[in-house]
Amino acid sequence: MLGRFFNIGPNSEVVGLNDRNLNLIYPNNPRKHYALADDKVKSKEILHKNHIACAETYAVINRVSEIKRTWNSCKQYDSLAIKPANGCGGNGIKILRKELHDTWISGSKMISDQQVVQHIMSIISGVYSMGSTDSCLIEECIVPHPFFGEIYGTGVPDFRIITLKHKPVLAMLRMPTSKSDGKANLHQKGVGIGIDINKGTLTQVFDGRRYLDHHPDNPQPITGKPIPYWNELIEISKATAKAFPLDYLGIDLVIDKTKGPQVMEVNVRPGLGIQLVNKMGLRKAIALAEEQQSKYVPIRKLSQYKESPILKPIGEQLVG
Amino acid sequence: MHTPQNLKMALLVISFLTGLSLLYKVIPVSKNLDDFYAEEMYLVTYRYYFKNNNGNTTIKTYLPKNNSRQRISAEETGAKKGIQFERVAQDGNLMGVWTANKPNLFQNVDYQFMYEGKAKQFHIPQNFKSTLEATHPYLNETEHIQAFHPKISQKARELVLGTKGDLESIQRLFNFVHSIPSAPIISFTDALTTLEQNRASCNGKSRLLVALARNLGYPARIKGGILLEHTRKRTSHAWVEILVNDQWVPFDALNGHFAYLPSNFLELYAGDEFLLVHTAGVQLDYTYEIKELDKIPFLSMNSEQFSSISPFSLWGLVEQKVLPKKGLNLLLLLPIGGLLVAFLRNVVGLKTFGVFLPVLIAMALLETGFAQGILIFLGLIMFVGLAAHPFNKMGLLQTPKMVISLTLMVMVMAVGSYLGIKTEIVWLTSLTIFPTIILTISAERFTTLIQEDGFQKASGTLLQTLMAVSICYYVIANEWLPTVLILFPEILIWVIMLSIVLGKYIGLRWTEVLRFNPLLTPKSV
Repeated sequence: MLGRFFNIGPNSEVVGLNDRNLNLIYPNNPRKHYALADDKVKSKEILHKNHIACAETYAVINRVSEIKRTWNSCKQYDSLAIKPANGCGGNGIKILRKELHDTWISGSKMISDQQVVQHIMSIISGVYSMGSTDSCLIEECIVPHPFFGEIYGTGVPDFRIITLKHKPVLAMLRMPTSKSDGKANLHQKGVGIGIDINKGTLTQVFDGRRYLDHHPDNPQPITGKPIPYWNELIEISKATAKAFPLDYLGIDLVIDKTKGPQVMEVNVRPGLGIQLVNKMGLRKAIALAEEQQSKYVPIRKLSQYKESPILKPIGEQLVG
Repeated sequence: MHTPQNLKMALLVISFLTGLSLLYKVIPVSKNLDDFYAEEMYLVTYRYYFKNNNGNTTIKTYLPKNNSRQRISAEETGAKKGIQFERVAQDGNLMGVWTANKPNLFQNVDYQFMYEGKAKQFHIPQNFKSTLEATHPYLNETEHIQAFHPKISQKARELVLGTKGDLESIQRLFNFVHSIPSAPIISFTDALTTLEQNRASCNGKSRLLVALARNLGYPARIKGGILLEHTRKRTSHAWVEILVNDQWVPFDALNGHFAYLPSNFLELYAGDEFLLVHTAGVQLDYTYEIKELDKIPFLSMNSEQFSSISPFSLWGLVEQKVLPKKGLNLLLLLPIGGLLVAFLRNVVGLKTFGVFLPVLIAMALLETGFAQGILIFLGLIMFVGLAAHPFNKMGLLQTPKMVISLTLMVMVMAVGSYLGIKTEIVWLTSLTIFPTIILTISAERFTTLIQEDGFQKASGTLLQTLMAVSICYYVIANEWLPTVLILFPEILIWVIMLSIVLGKYIGLRWTEVLRFNPLLTPKSV
């Protein structure tokens, strides 16, 4: 009653936080399963179990006594990412690369063994997870596909696909900018690029205030630019959505240079800015997705890039 | 997620019944609405016991009158068989005269009335209209007010040396008399003696202030009455009135009230008089018995009268001292504040620290005062931010770090209270345990938020929290609100009903209307 009184006329297809919480999150995501998405270690277990492509887990450290031994065993790899299982906003993540003579580089600085151990220690003691103890995840470092470099070369870009009852409804590509300190988050001055979910092409760039047809740091227009492995990305997100007992998800994916599409993480409370990026309300997107569902037969297009995707088998979901 | 139909029906029926119950009480109460808005209410009884020795015994005292800040009702004269009562107007005052005729008899008189009063602050301009002719009765010298004694003249001239206006002169006289040490004894002291021995109680101080004022040509007079408090007492009180532009303005140089009269000052008479006069040779004892009543500010009835209309209210808790009134007020305001915060978060879309922290901060502000409270709050936040910085760098764990912030905060507050007492800045001492805890938690929350979201975003949330706090404060600082809730606790049921409606609200928040504006105005799409 009161709701209708306050609603904004014909454009109520835009979903606000109240609507999202009440009608999308609460009925679809049982609270007891939140941890499966919030905890990176748990979500990776599910992904691995369902053979969904994601960064290989090198090690999980739960106890201080394990740190030294586990870190030594991880030194065989050339690059790796160290993450807190329950971190937020990308805090506590360190990407390490091996240089000559077994020295390690984090960002552009040398990092000593001692410092790495200390960082893992602070992850475990809960410095990045608001006081409770945490586990530390050491995993394969993903090398972004050249597609991203064609738009903007530095930082960690990713795709965000919103799924409702296993159907992808909205998607965007998040890109860092020269102002965003390597982060692709819209709140931290990154940009969002809208995606035509059926064609698998980019639509427009949204920088938080204006719409552009190009990345702020690259004058080349991106409108209509095809996304490599788009069908795989869609299929992986569907498979992921089915693997979790959560029916409304924001799935973050990236395309690795050699291994193709990979799931990065899963969110139970995906943000609503994606509507602005796509110039489309979530209600409308849900309606369109339901309409499409009946017609949509995924076809695997031959990628314009020569490397063939090294996909992990994802079971019967992979069609074509 | 549809609420089952029968549950909906049940809720509707409960709301309706609550409405009926409210209506049942509101109708009789609305006939007793009162625009006097008294702050305090007392039942005052003058009790006289005397032995009538030789026949005609007379007792005279001043009776209270209504004025803009006091209201007298339910008067009982104490007249009875053998005791006559008479009202006599005298020099603008009203006297009660009791006469007893039977000799050799112990007798008593109880004169009783209800007092409702409010505080009043008077405005004084920089300069007054030059007053009246020199023959004004309130400019004369009297036996006890030696307005033109050389010592008084010298003191008066000395005090107003170099002043720039009448207000400043009055202020100097007042400050001087106020600074004279007060004597605990209630002895009779005239103006000159007060000046000479530099020590006096209320009547000596008042006479000196009147003498100084008259000396400088400001008409002034003594005012007499009783300071009402929940007790039995025998002392009356005297203060001063100075004529400012045809208005008598009160000054109490003993208690330091400058152009201000608190709500518990019962005004009885003007002039250098005694409150009680009786026939010589009579054995007499007296006492003023004063009982504080629970005043319902906007009704011309007290709690007992209300209870007779409707037995269902929370006055019982107050009267039987189950809960202190202040505690009950805060308790009842909590749901109202909570509902307000829910509205601000879910409909307006403000982001705040914690869910109910804004209500609690607003409540803390009730004790510290709004502006000072906000200043204390911001000061503490800055302090915690700065003081915690070196500890953050040490890479400590969250909880011990919080203990450090808390300890630092308590230390600052202790120092603040100490300075407050030393410098007599009242609001510095207002940080009792409740505001301290609330403000500490909020400051801590803000520091954490800076670490999580960065300074800019955290400041945004801080600003929005302060907005929510201000709105909450504006609502819960209404003095009638807790009283309404005590009288009509059914309103709490409505809070639940409104929360249900609010909990089903799926419209865009007002801040989201701004955020999604590009999607909502069709032409830009």
